Amino acid sequence: MASLLHYRPWQGEFHSPWWSIWPIARVSLGMFLSRRMFWGLYACGLLLFLMFFFGAYLLAWAESQLGVAAQQFGRDPSRMLRGIRQALRILNGSQDTFQYFFAYQGGIIVVTLSLAGSLLVGDDFTNKSHAFYLAKPISRWHYILGKCAAVAVIVQLMTTLPALVLYGQHAFDDWSYLTNVNYFYENDTGKGPAGIPLLLAVLGYGLLLSVFLSVLLVATAMWMRRTMPLILVWMSLFFFARVLANILVDGLKYDARWRLIDLWNNVTMLGQGMLAYAHEDINPKPQPEFWEAAAVLIGVTTICLMYLNHRTQGVEIVD
Amino acid sequence: MFIELHNISRSFGDNHALVDVNLTLERGRIGLLGPNGAGKSTLMKILLGLLPPTSGTGRVLDHDLATAGVALRRAIGYMPEADALIPGMQGAEYVALAGELYGMSRMQALRRAHEVLTCLDLDDARYRLLEEYSTGMKQRLKLAQALVHDPPVLLLDEPTSGMDPAGREGMLDLLVQLGRDHGKAILLSTHLLGDIDRVCDAVVILHQGRILCQGPVDQLCRSRHDRYRLLLQGDPNRFLEDLRLEGVQILHDNGRGEYRVQVPAGWTNQAFFKLAQLHQVVVRGLQSDDEDLEELFHRVIQESGARSQDSIRGTEY
Repeated sequence: MASLLHYRPWQGEFHSPWWSIWPIARVSLGMFLSRRMFWGLYACGLLLFLMFFFGAYLLAWAESQLGVAAQQFGRDPSRMLRGIRQALRILNGSQDTFQYFFAYQGGIIVVTLSLAGSLLVGDDFTNKSHAFYLAKPISRWHYILGKCAAVAVIVQLMTTLPALVLYGQHAFDDWSYLTNVNYFYENDTGKGPAGIPLLLAVLGYGLLLSVFLSVLLVATAMWMRRTMPLILVWMSLFFFARVLANILVDGLKYDARWRLIDLWNNVTMLGQGMLAYAHEDINPKPQPEFWEAAAVLIGVTTICLMYLNHRTQGVEIVD
Repeated sequence: MFIELHNISRSFGDNHALVDVNLTLERGRIGLLGPNGAGKSTLMKILLGLLPPTSGTGRVLDHDLATAGVALRRAIGYMPEADALIPGMQGAEYVALAGELYGMSRMQALRRAHEVLTCLDLDDARYRLLEEYSTGMKQRLKLAQALVHDPPVLLLDEPTSGMDPAGREGMLDLLVQLGRDHGKAILLSTHLLGDIDRVCDAVVILHQGRILCQGPVDQLCRSRHDRYRLLLQGDPNRFLEDLRLEGVQILHDNGRGEYRVQVPAGWTNQAFFKLAQLHQVVVRGLQSDDEDLEELFHRVIQESGARSQDSIRGTEY
């Protein structure tokens, strides 16, 4: 039988509510990382990273072998080298490397998040554990931020962190990659900036993905709660909207602004903008303006935040 | 002062969940009673600082309800009726998480979680997953997460819901100890009148968003001089028959020789003994039967219904 004979009062300082964001995120991440399926998806992402990582060495090896082979066959090695570099430009550490890396990883992230949404957020409402959180001395925004932080950590672990490793790999290989902005132009090995601007672009692209996907996931997971409906919503947002946009713009030759309904296109377009791509170099063509894509993403994020505010405000914490 | 509410109203569209609630409560063990839809949940949300009132002002533990949401919840330990558990977590982790959300550091929260779980006899289950807990353990765990930061006030929503009789007794014992020995102010919302009878020394009865009565239970319950509890030994059938002939109503027979009776005006207790002697029955106990909490609750609700009928008639004429 329980007895409070040894119950002791507690005295101590309380932290600000902002400190509660990390425990909320930590618990969500713990649940995510305890599932084998997500480790499987993370491993898929890691395979992609390994392809880029060791692909850079493959490119270097191919370049070194090419000179020897060209001399043997009496051909001009510089033309062949240019051809090889053009074909394998996604491995040379330039803007193309990171653009393709983020694009491929993005696909895996979208699949992972659509599967993990109910676990990270939806289950709180199914199990009524949101009452546990919201009855504590935190505001609903601390709760939402905690959930967004958990999603952002997953996104960062799958995109920015490996992208930084790739960046570091190229920087350690050739120090001028890190210090010389015009590295690619001077070496005739690719396009776009190198050095700190490229590093900032990588961080910015990761931040864009984290902020947008985390707010979108928390909002849609709070709305749908269960895994299957959430998958359908994310398929509509990222797959069907893309197909529809392509049909409208490429097939029916509607205005390029119809491509704005494709949220993933807007994200990658802005990401490419950060990586210093010119507007006319972004595929598929034609594309809307950068500011239009940014406006759509800001609009969607704002709507999601408004929904989150409403949803957590009206929450029944007392049955 | 524990709770001080002045003309608190809360509406959701056309639905008036609370209407001009005035409430002044000193620290103590207070029961919140009311049928479904009475406004208990809305009142608890307002007291937790989660829902602003549409009009009116109020203070809980000297915190202004309108502005002190976070500070207010730090002073309150809330035990929800719903399980509100996080599957996949262990008991100690769950209580420690509550501590962290209250603002404790991780180390402090973990240490305190172990302490509280030991006090609540959950030390053996600290490392078990929450989904493996029994109903009684879940209820104690919810109490533990409300107690982890040692709040001066506990808001408890149906704390004995779903528990077996032994578990319920244990939980009620804990609540009495918390109030009596550790000075916690307790606001207990429940449908179980017995829980309030056992734990609380004051009661607030809510109905249709209005407070029908509030105060110490023993002062609110009417002393009745026309009701008695009789404990009889022997064959009581002819004795009871004669009582009925004398105009006494047998209100309740528990089948084990105990009867609740209501006597007519002018009745004297000597009559019980005379009739008992006549029918060779031994009166082993005789005590006046005052109104209990259940009767008080029904009377107050009935009186409120009658008043609203009168006011409707008044408006019609």
